[in-house]
Amino acid sequence: MFYLSQVEQNLKMPPHLLKPSLLDGELEKGIRGELEKRFLDKVITNLGLCISVYDIQSFEGGFIFPGDDGCATYKVRCRLVMFQPFVGEVIVGKIESCDEFGLQVSLGFFSDIRIPERFMVQPCHRGEDGIWVWQFKVDNEEFQYSLDIDEEIRFRVASVKYPPTPVEQSENSKPFSPMEITGYINGDGLGLVSWW
Amino acid sequence: MIYALISHICYFTFNMGIILRTSELKKYYLVFVREKANAGNLTNFEVFDFLRSRGATSDPMGCIGSVSPSECKVFGYLSGSPAYMQTRESVNEFLRKADNFKFITSFEKLNIVNSTPTVMPALYATIKDCDKRIAKEEEQIAKENQLEEDQLQELLELVKEIFPQPAEEQEELSQ
Repeated sequence: MFYLSQVEQNLKMPPHLLKPSLLDGELEKGIRGELEKRFLDKVITNLGLCISVYDIQSFEGGFIFPGDDGCATYKVRCRLVMFQPFVGEVIVGKIESCDEFGLQVSLGFFSDIRIPERFMVQPCHRGEDGIWVWQFKVDNEEFQYSLDIDEEIRFRVASVKYPPTPVEQSENSKPFSPMEITGYINGDGLGLVSWW
Repeated sequence: MIYALISHICYFTFNMGIILRTSELKKYYLVFVREKANAGNLTNFEVFDFLRSRGATSDPMGCIGSVSPSECKVFGYLSGSPAYMQTRESVNEFLRKADNFKFITSFEKLNIVNSTPTVMPALYATIKDCDKRIAKEEEQIAKENQLEEDQLQELLELVKEIFPQPAEEQEELSQ
């Protein structure tokens, strides 16, 4: 689910952040704070969602360029903890909502996980209250298992997509999600954790 | 013109900035360079341990200061996962013993450590194309097929042994 990504960044440190850290001798803390402001909780295309700054391997520079309003520029090499599940990974999440297209699952810190109808346990249909129900047939007996909201569900990652940022957005459309994960639950051991 | 030049030089020396040639200046305007996109996979346990060492707690109010709220959310999620019960030694032990099973790849080992399946269907879910792999062996000697299923059972026992479930521990406490 998580992996380390090494990046090199030209970081501009504004003077008001430099002053306390230079005096204390804790320039690294100041740089770390600036890195977190820049990367934390942001999605980087093809790399994933940045969870945390793992460590700062080196930083050099500190030159002040003309016309930069006094910011010192450091070339920082650091490692970031990125969240990007690989295809085929099995993850446990909570069902957040369901609509006519399928389920939406959330992990607490990440909610853009969808399980479309074609990837759900077959056969299933949507009940009157909107909840998806799995019709399971064994020896001419039929069992109904419902996929209720707030239930823990185990799913396998089918794909991770990074749709391009839309230039224009109409007011009614759902908020843009920079990283979308599609899961499927049609298999042994997948689906609600309580089933197995 | 000369006055402008002199004032320009004065500006440089006043700032104690280093006078750089234009070619060097151009280098510093890239956004960022990805040196190594993947510098190593992390198990859920390692991220959990890292956040815990940075000072994250399950209590959302207690996190302010050392750890940001989004890191707290990740920590909250990982506390509810099997990673909560794991230790560095148990994960290392599992990976060492799992080397004996040649049919699982390192990604599948990662899957197993992160989700610690306790029943056979859950183990099937973590191993890609499990059915097809066993079926392949069927075409060869029937004994080899048996071996595969036995190996899966052994793997399940190994997982149960190294990563005990909290529910089982609670049962032991109540008895």
